[in-house]
Parts: sequence; structure tokens; C-alpha cells
Amino acid sequence: MKVEISRRKFLQGSVALTVLGGTSLSGADVLAKSAEKEKLAGNRTVPTVCEMCVNKCAAIAEVKDGVVKKLDPNPYFPKSRNMLCARGVAGIKALYDPDRLKYPLLRVGKRGDGRYKKVTWNEAYEYIKDKMVTILEEEEDNRSCIGYCAGEGLAEHTFKSFMAQKIGSANFLNHSTICLQTAVSGFALTLGDYGQADLENAKYVIMAGANRAEAIVTPDTMDIFKRTRGRGAELVVVDPRYTKTAMHADTYLPIKPGTDLAFVLAMTYVTLKGQLYNKTFVENNFNDFDAYKNHIISNNYTPEWAEEITGIPADTICKVAHDFMKAAPQAIYYQGRRSTWSSNDFQLRRAMALFTALGGGVDVKGGIIFGKKLPLGDHEINAPLYFNAQPRIDQDQAAIIGSTGSWVAWRDMVAEGNTPYPIRGMFVYKQNPVLSVPDSNKTRKMLEKLDLIVVIDTMPSDTAMMADVILPECTYLEREDPVKSFPGVEPAIVLRQKVIDPMFDTKPVIEIVRGLAKKLTKPLWEITKNYDMDVQAELESAPEEEYFKEWGFDLADAYTHSQEEINKHMFVSAHNDKAWKLLREKGVYYRGMQRSFKKVDANTYEHYPPAGKTYSVLPLVNKADRETTITEFCESCDPCANPADIAPWKRVFKTPSKKIECNLASMTDRGVDAMPTWHDKDYVKVPPGKYKFITGRHAQHTHNATQNNVLLLELLPENYLWINDEEAKKIGITDGDLVEVKSSVGKVQIKAYPTPKIIPETVFYIHGFGSQSSGQSLAHRNGASDNEIIEGVIEPVFGSAIMHDTLVSVRKV
Amino acid sequence: MNYAIALDYQNCIDCQACEAACKEENGVQLGADKQRIWVGMEEGTIFGKPYANTYPAQCSHCIDAPCVDVCPTDASHYVKGGIVKVNPEECILCEECIEACPYGARFIDDNIESVDKCTFCDHRIAKKGTTACQATCPTKVRTFGDLNDPESEIVRLLKTRRFFFQKEEEGTLPKLFFLLPEDEIFARQSVSKQTKIYAWKDIEANYKQASINRSKDWKV
Repeated sequence: MKVEISRRKFLQGSVALTVLGGTSLSGADVLAKSAEKEKLAGNRTVPTVCEMCVNKCAAIAEVKDGVVKKLDPNPYFPKSRNMLCARGVAGIKALYDPDRLKYPLLRVGKRGDGRYKKVTWNEAYEYIKDKMVTILEEEEDNRSCIGYCAGEGLAEHTFKSFMAQKIGSANFLNHSTICLQTAVSGFALTLGDYGQADLENAKYVIMAGANRAEAIVTPDTMDIFKRTRGRGAELVVVDPRYTKTAMHADTYLPIKPGTDLAFVLAMTYVTLKGQLYNKTFVENNFNDFDAYKNHIISNNYTPEWAEEITGIPADTICKVAHDFMKAAPQAIYYQGRRSTWSSNDFQLRRAMALFTALGGGVDVKGGIIFGKKLPLGDHEINAPLYFNAQPRIDQDQAAIIGSTGSWVAWRDMVAEGNTPYPIRGMFVYKQNPVLSVPDSNKTRKMLEKLDLIVVIDTMPSDTAMMADVILPECTYLEREDPVKSFPGVEPAIVLRQKVIDPMFDTKPVIEIVRGLAKKLTKPLWEITKNYDMDVQAELESAPEEEYFKEWGFDLADAYTHSQEEINKHMFVSAHNDKAWKLLREKGVYYRGMQRSFKKVDANTYEHYPPAGKTYSVLPLVNKADRETTITEFCESCDPCANPADIAPWKRVFKTPSKKIECNLASMTDRGVDAMPTWHDKDYVKVPPGKYKFITGRHAQHTHNATQNNVLLLELLPENYLWINDEEAKKIGITDGDLVEVKSSVGKVQIKAYPTPKIIPETVFYIHGFGSQSSGQSLAHRNGASDNEIIEGVIEPVFGSAIMHDTLVSVRKV
Repeated sequence: MNYAIALDYQNCIDCQACEAACKEENGVQLGADKQRIWVGMEEGTIFGKPYANTYPAQCSHCIDAPCVDVCPTDASHYVKGGIVKVNPEECILCEECIEACPYGARFIDDNIESVDKCTFCDHRIAKKGTTACQATCPTKVRTFGDLNDPESEIVRLLKTRRFFFQKEEEGTLPKLFFLLPEDEIFARQSVSKQTKIYAWKDIEANYKQASINRSKDWKV
């Protein structure tokens, strides 16, 4: 009941905003006149959590007269290391972006032309309901004919739970297969978990492709760059580009794109041949080591062989392998996040994991660690079962298709009309597949085929411009989101609290879902009753209303409580009321926080005491190991012991054999190599006159979500094409020239940046620019989109999009 | 009090968080050429191999600031702690100070119709302890503090590290201390042979005396 009252109150307030907000967005006077004045008045600070990228850094928002004036870092959260990057700081400009979506919109023009009319939430819900009823009636209650996708975010699961558990569709897509699916799975299937890199303590780090200076990840970015340049961490950067990470490297190795696997295999060869590996660790913790050793040696993955392929000198490969193993176990072949580069990406990640493990740098300080996680209770959802809901369409498109599917394969099937049953509609939350999935033309073609497209977002993205209905979400500063527990050496729980009330007629996704659920429940239930044989059989003996409620067919029952109430329940069920108060007050909670949190200096805070940090967490086969290794000086405090003594412990890994898996024999049934193997045929050669196109990130923008942010645009106004300066000279391209970059699927125009910082035969520009949405006045037609030219090809294991194998031509226009 | 900033510039990753935080904290005019703070970048090739160095910087709040000396209306002035500020009410946009500044630290803010520059965030020191640029920095390049306090974080740091100044030949006694990388190789890569390297004991007395001499001009 309480929820309903506050919601009505909010709507009252936002009506006032709607009227006044038409002319100006920049805040103070608009809000000062609103009915919410009393509530908003006064200066206050609110601890919250950033959502400008995936890292979830803790922030403190300063509010003056109802306007968010400044975002500062919140030092209480160990993971974000008391910092807020340019994007985090610029979150205010996302909140007050004049172009943001303000009201529910209904399409009146053609898809993509940007003509919409303002409607009420009820009108928008009605439209969706009518379409859903028609579609599900025609498809006889096959819930999976409505696809849905979501971008990463704290509220992603709220939307997902509604579409998966309540609506009942199997066709979910998220960022995984255009992001780090192969990396996460490669490490997880080898070491039992993807883990984290302990860059606060590693002595030797190989970063290949990963670019932590420009693609900021917390705490990795913060930790490594305070320790480079002779300060404890030797850094080897392997990249076709001299990045800002390479700037910090002791050794920078330019490599041909698509050949990283050969580099790792050759270093593995050197390590095995020279017996440089940690023998006790391998004996205790490797499964099928001899098979792997034979495989590497018998295939002759020599440094000389790899030099030919990678362009990295053989003696350098030898040296890096030796230096790595000398520093091990505090040596990491950094997992990286990134997207899939080439078709052997899964095998590359496996080889990287095994190489680190050969040094013993797993589950130990300074190596790949798994961390502890603080508990949280569940938010239970009563999920109905739909007899007619079909399995996902793309399940045979790669060896292992998980619950998040294969974006490219799924898209292609729908675009080509090649699906086992029709896909009729799509709900899109906080994702922008038109710009984020390779081959944008094909994504547009896919969307054109649908009878219903609903987009929930804060900005009129290129995908929103294809929607029939746009539902405006409020930004992260205007809502409370699900509480989140972050694992690590210093685990903590963070809470995104609402800083100000939602502006205009926008809502948090939980309220959007609640409204939709209420509207859809009864009409969809009627369809289920007509077509679902299970339900029909049950209803012969059970009273309808009772069955409907008990079996979760009331779609709104999971969203009756407010996010605040759900969070309190999730948190207090695992902790207590006092801790809850502390979490709300500080925005962060971990056990003992009040006791151990202290300021060392303006740049450094201590969160856990040294003995409270947990590096080695896996269970041990011989429990006595721990006692015999760790000296009596400090009670079972593994941070104080020498990692080299801890590394060889015999552990219980979270893999099927409970050991590190060299040989995934069961994968051969699915046509996947059991051990990392180089195949010449997988390598895309660059013919004369062509270039291999690679893409990447930048510290001033997040994917394609911030290109309309006025503050970030002045830091990086547009993207530009990196091309080797010698090559550019040959074809008459100079700095700032407009060039056309063309592949088999599309072409773009972009300014050229000839530079010695990229190897020949390779061109690059950053992802995220080149929006075609007229709704984003600053992003519109600014720079070029990478996915306009990247071909839609997948790797064979998880169906992840290959991002670095597209050949392009470049010419001056 | 005599405020200064030491920069461990070898931590810098050119993420520009400082630039963004400065704009938000101080309401600086938008526009890429309207910067109170910036990351200087020097890059090139040595024997065909690329290299790059970053030098994050802002106003040096020189003890003998030429911008203050040339100002015809006293709009440019010192406040407590030796911070150099501009009073927009008195600025007549003659741009003498922009010419006089060796560091290019000044620009015209069209919104307030005045020359504008870094203030070391003096409005937030009391409440938040440090500048917006130091607080927000991911890799913690900056240490802000009082040169007159031997126990301050900046003095403790300067006592343990060697440092240099940019354009010290101008004789303005700048208060941005660039901390020399402790590693010899990286130190050599980021400074020229002509750069004078100092330790705290070399300059302490001189800086102290100069700031005492000048402090009569400091307005509260």
C-alpha cells in the first residue's frame, strides 16, 4: 500500500515537471517551481553507485536545491579505490541531457525516421498489450516468439526476470556474445572460474590486447598503473597498437591481429621444454598435464615458428616466458575482458589460463584470485510454466549455446527468416544492438521483420529509433536499483540509492515492468487458457483464480514491492538492521567496516586489515598444508606468507576433475579441440591493398552510450581512423583527411590519423560513434560506427561475434 | 599556509577524469579550449619505436606570479595560502595576464565574461580536504597540501622524492612539483638532460622566504 501512495505522489510531481520542463532542462528554476519543492529543498549528499559503465564505482552525489551538482568518489567501496573517472563525473550530464527520453512515445512515421508522438504510460501499455495479444493468439501461446535483450546494469535482472520468468520467453540475448563470453568461459572451463587479477601484488603481468589505461576496469586500472615503471610490477603489453597502456609497459610487443594464440603456445613450449614451470603446483593441481605437454612439444610450437606468425622475435618470446616463470607465482597472463578477436578465441583464453597456471599463479596473492563474496538474500519469483513456449531458436548455431544465446547467429536467423518458429517481437532494455552488434545493416533488417519492437532506455538510441513504442527509463541517479555484492580480496556490498526523483514522465525499470505486468496479466492468461494443455488439464480440478495466483500466472506478483523494500529484504535476511542502516548511510557495507575503514592519506584508504584480506580461497585437499606453510607469527594470515610457498598447495578447483583442465576431451564430440591448437586455416591473411580492421575502447566514452554527453564529447569529440603512417604516406593520406573505409557489409567515412603507433596492414577506430539517430543532436552522424563495417561472423564454440577478422579497403574521398 | 600540488605524473593514464571533475566542480565553461586543467602529452618515436609521456598540469600558483603583477585592475590577486585567483567583477578582459602566464593556464570564460583559471578548489578544501582533481583521479597522480606544514602529505612526499618544475627559468617560483620517477630508466625517458632536478632541502628555504615576502599581498 505504501508503495502505491508514493508512486501517485511521484506522478503528481512529474506532471508539473513535464509542463515546465519543455523549455529548459538545466534544472534549478524548473525544479524550484515544481510541486516537489519542499521535498527537494536543502543541500544534501547521497551515496550512490555509478552506471556510466559496468564497473559500479561508489559515488557521492551532492544535491543543491534539488539539482545534482557534483559526483565525487565514495572512499568506502574497496573495489573502486576512491576514484571516479571522467565518465563517472560526467554522469550529471547524462541526467540533464536535453535529448534524453522524457515521455512514453508511440511511432507515427516509418521505422528509423524518428517520428513519434507523446503518449501516456497507459496508452503505451495498451498498444503493447494489443500487439502481444494478437501475436500470442496467432502463435498459440508460444511465449518464445517474443525475443528480448538487455544491456548490462544493476537493473538488468529485473527486466530479464520479467521477460524470462513471467512472460516466459527463451529467446534472451545480452552482451555476452558481443563481449567477453569466450574469455570468461575459456578461463572458467580451465581454472573453474574466470577470477580476478591481483594487480596490487603481481610482479609480472602480460597484457595482450587488454588496454586497462583506456578501458578502465576497477580495481585493475587503479592498481597496475601505480606499480609500473620499476615500482614492483613489470608490464609486457602485446598489442597491434601502441595504446596508453603500452605507454606504461617495460616491454611493448606489436603483434599481428589474430595471432595471439601462437604467441602463448610458443611461450608454453619454452616453459615446458625448459622445465620452467612450478612442478609441485602442476603435479598437485593439473589434470592431464602429460597430454598437454606432449601436444605442445609434438606440434613444435617453437618461438621460431611463432615469430613467423606473430611478428614477435623468437628470442623475445623466450625472454618473456623465462621472466614470467621467474616471477611466478606472482605472474599473470592477464585474462582481459574484450570481445572475441578471431575464431580461435576460446582456445586462446584456455592457453592463457594454462600458461598462468604453469607458473602456479592461481588462487594465490599476486596471481589470478577468486575472492570471497558477502551473502545477500534472494528476491524470489514465482515463475509460471508455459507448455507451448519453445526452446530458443539458435541453440544449434555453435557448440555451446548458453542462456544468453548468440547475438549474431540469432539476428541472422531472424533477418533471413530461417527460424523454427516465427520471432514476432522484441523487447530491448538498455541495449543498442543497431550499433553494438556487427553488421548493422543486418540488425536493421532483422528489426524490420518484427511486428512489435519495444525499447526501454534513457536515450533515443539508433535502436530506439526503430521501436514502435519507447518507454523512457529514468537515469541511474533517479532510482534505487537492486543491491549488489561484489566478490574480491576485499568483498563488499554496494547500494545504488536514488539521488533525486525521476524527471519528466520517466520511471525506473521495476515500475515499468510492474505497469506492463498489470496490463498484460489477464489478457495473456486468457490466451494461455485457450492453448496451454497443461493449464487446461489442471483447471479441470483447480479453481481458476487460485491456480492463476499459486502458479505465478499473475505477472505482477513479483513486482508488488518497491525496490527499496526488496533491497531491505535481500540485505537484512543475510545481515541485520544495523548493517542495513550503515549501508544506506555510507552506500557500502562489509563486515567490520566501522572498525577497520580508515584514511591513510588523501589518496589512500584502508578497508580490511591485512589479515582480513583473502587471496587463497579454494578448499585444500590436505588441510594441514595451510598450517605448515603459514608461520606462527600471524595467525593463519595468508597475506603475510610468501606466495611461492602457498602456490603449490593441492586445491579443489571448481572444475569437473577438481583440477586445472588441460584436456577437455568431451569437447571433441562437439567438434571443439580438446587442447589449444593452432590451425593455419583459421588465420585471416591480409591481401595486398587491404587492411585488417580492429576496434577498441577509450577512457572517455562507454561503448555507444555516451556519445551525446556534452562533457565527454569535449574530451573526445569524435573517433578517427588509426593507420600506419608509412602506409598512409604511400596512398596519399594525411592527418585529418576524410577517408572511406569499406568492407563486404558496409562502408563509413571517417577522418584519418596516420601514426607510427599502429602496425602496418591494420587499421583501427574506437567503437561507439557514428550514431544515425536524429534524436541525439550531438551524437548524430558524428564519427563512424565500427559495426557498420564489421562482418557478422561467429566463432564456433559459443557463437561469439568475431570482431577482428574483417578486411577493409581505405581510400581518400 | 602555502598551498601546492605534487604530481606523480608517471601514474597518469591520460583518462582526463581531472578535466571532467574540474568542470563539474567549478562550473567552468564548456568547450575543449576552456580548461583550468589539462593533461600534456608528448609523443614520438625513438629508432622507429613509439613512445609517449604525459604531464598532467594546471595553474602553478607561482609565488611570484607575473599574471598578478601585470593586472591593471587587481582582478588577478592572491588569496590565503598563496592561491592565485581572478575576481570576475574586476576583470576587464585586457588579456595581459594570459600573455604573461608562462604556462597557458588562463583563458576567457565567456559565461562570466572574465579570465578564468584554476583556484586549487579553495571553496572545497575546508569541507572535502582536497581538490576535485586529486579526489577523482583513478591512479592518484596528485597530492595537494601546505608547503609550510612539515607534517603535511605534500611535504612528507617531497622529502622522499626528487622533483622538477616546468619552465622554472621564468623565475616565477611555480608550485606544481613534478615528481621524478624513482626508476632511472623511466626518469631518463621523461625529462630532458637540461632539466634541473631538486630535492626538498634544495628549495625549502628559498620557497619559504619568497612566500613570506609575497604574503603581504595575499588577501583573505
